Amino acid sequence: MAANVQNIPGRTDWAEDDTEDLATAIPPPQITKNKDGTETIITVFLNEDGKRVKRTQRIRRTVVKKKENPRVAERRQWAKIGPEAGKPAGPRPDTTTLGENIIFRPVMGYKSGQVQEKAPEEDRKAEQLKKMQIKCRICSGDHFTTKCPFKDTMAPEGAEGGAAADLGEDADDTAGAAGAGAGGSNYVPPHLRKGAAGAGGGERMGGKYERDDLATLRVTNVSEFAEESDLREIFERHGRVTRVFLAKDRETGRAKGFAFVSYADRSDASRACEKVDGYGFGHLILKVEFAKKAT
Amino acid sequence: MRPILLQGHERALTQVKFSKEGDLLFSVSKDHVVCAWYSANGERFGTYKGHQGALWTVDVDPTTTLLATGGADNTLRLWEIKTGKELKRWEFNTSIRRAEFSEDGRQLLGVTEKRQGQLSNIFVYDIVPDVTADQSTDPTLHITVELPRVTVAGFSALSRYIITGHENGSVAQWDAKTGELIKEEFPHEDGMSVTDLQWSSDRTYFITASKDKTAKLIDSETLEVLKTYVADTPLNSAAITPEPTNYVILGGGQAAMDVTTTSARQGKFEARFYHKIFEEEIGRVRGHFGPLNYVAVSPDGKCYCSGGEDGYVRVHHFDPPYFDFRFEVERERERGLQM
Repeated sequence: MAANVQNIPGRTDWAEDDTEDLATAIPPPQITKNKDGTETIITVFLNEDGKRVKRTQRIRRTVVKKKENPRVAERRQWAKIGPEAGKPAGPRPDTTTLGENIIFRPVMGYKSGQVQEKAPEEDRKAEQLKKMQIKCRICSGDHFTTKCPFKDTMAPEGAEGGAAADLGEDADDTAGAAGAGAGGSNYVPPHLRKGAAGAGGGERMGGKYERDDLATLRVTNVSEFAEESDLREIFERHGRVTRVFLAKDRETGRAKGFAFVSYADRSDASRACEKVDGYGFGHLILKVEFAKKAT
Repeated sequence: MRPILLQGHERALTQVKFSKEGDLLFSVSKDHVVCAWYSANGERFGTYKGHQGALWTVDVDPTTTLLATGGADNTLRLWEIKTGKELKRWEFNTSIRRAEFSEDGRQLLGVTEKRQGQLSNIFVYDIVPDVTADQSTDPTLHITVELPRVTVAGFSALSRYIITGHENGSVAQWDAKTGELIKEEFPHEDGMSVTDLQWSSDRTYFITASKDKTAKLIDSETLEVLKTYVADTPLNSAAITPEPTNYVILGGGQAAMDVTTTSARQGKFEARFYHKIFEEEIGRVRGHFGPLNYVAVSPDGKCYCSGGEDGYVRVHHFDPPYFDFRFEVERERERGLQM
């Protein structure tokens, strides 16, 4: 108090002094509206140590309207009874706990013992694959290497370059991957053998994948919370979709941010490419282009 | 979905019921306590204390003002939900196995156990849906059931019939005005007790669960079996999900006395979901450590809960895949309707 009086000389009324002081110390929060609909709130306050702190918050207000039965709303306000009487609102940890997450998806033709945590399509695929023991050389996924969605973007495991890479180097790499030093005794895939001249041509066999490529779109900037079904829904509007692949992180199960969508018809694909490119999905804007053929 | 586990009971759950709006949940167990919970977050609203024996049954009236409970202390009691005050107590010679309000909440039915030379009895009381009113002490209808022991009972649509399920697997239809036996059918295997009877939202049909490992959808007018759901374990309970979903939920598991000899997996302590029309199983939800004694679906269809022999109530709020799921034919029909 004495200090205040010293700071502002000429004041004699201590009560007035005090209020004046408060007013100068803490100005009311300033709220300014920004053009993009957000608000900036600047608050000045005293923190625990008595220091002046200026806090700038930028917020966006969203109104979530929820309809509720008035009876239900009334019951929510009831005073608790019995052993709960007088306890604050909200679940008490001694009576209420959260269980572990259960993924429950209704499936046609459910059979006991079947793993429930899978979509029906995945299940069918997985079952087929169980019999065949397939492992992709590119991404180690459960599919043929030729069907790998990353075949355009990634080189096979253990190989540095793509198909056009130097043959000798490739052979070294495969030898390294096999874990043995001597090159002669190790298996070298036919397309990498020295004898197979012009192996580049034999690299990607099967014309059907070429056709596939023609009507395949590469979708990038996909929200990591996206699901294949969401994408399918978006793309199915523009024609018959034969395949949707959404790259997912194997550990977290979240989308990696890109996907491939194949159409049965190329004209549909080009239309979809035009329409969906720039489409807002989740909080991101999709980028759609034709998948580039592997070089 | 993340189930909410409610630990308000120390012994096996016997029945759980939702209020009409689905916001409150009532559970009774063999430990003499009635608990009320908010279904949205699992918060306990309170308990209703007074019973001196295991509780077998609970029901809430459609306005969520009155609660009826009955149990092994040979009493049927009426409570005010909001305050927890006991409003009325009816005493009997044997325990109350089942209590149920009629659709309009103006009648209450109580079923007594057949024991000690006593036959099963059905008592119907007129209820004034007001907490200050004096409830009548004498039943308006008293049926002495000459048939095998009544295990479950309820009022059909417009309180026209009383439907009972019996220990020998039979289902009987009684006139709710005169108490006359109209019909008796044997939908379940002989000697296999009917363990549960739950109504569709309009009470024109109901589902029965039985120890013969099946649940049946039965018309309340004709007692004709409409659908049969076959499970691989004795069933304790069955519930019908309201529109627009067409499922039934079955709960069961082997008898509590056999549980210790098998693993949880073999015990089949799962809630089973079947398609109501196609009678096909579509999924299971596990979680309980003992048989499911009761399953109940919220009347809004957004969540269901199960009470188990393990003393837990698990409340499950459904995820979108549950609502989106359609059979191929249903999908085609929807497409046809859109066009």
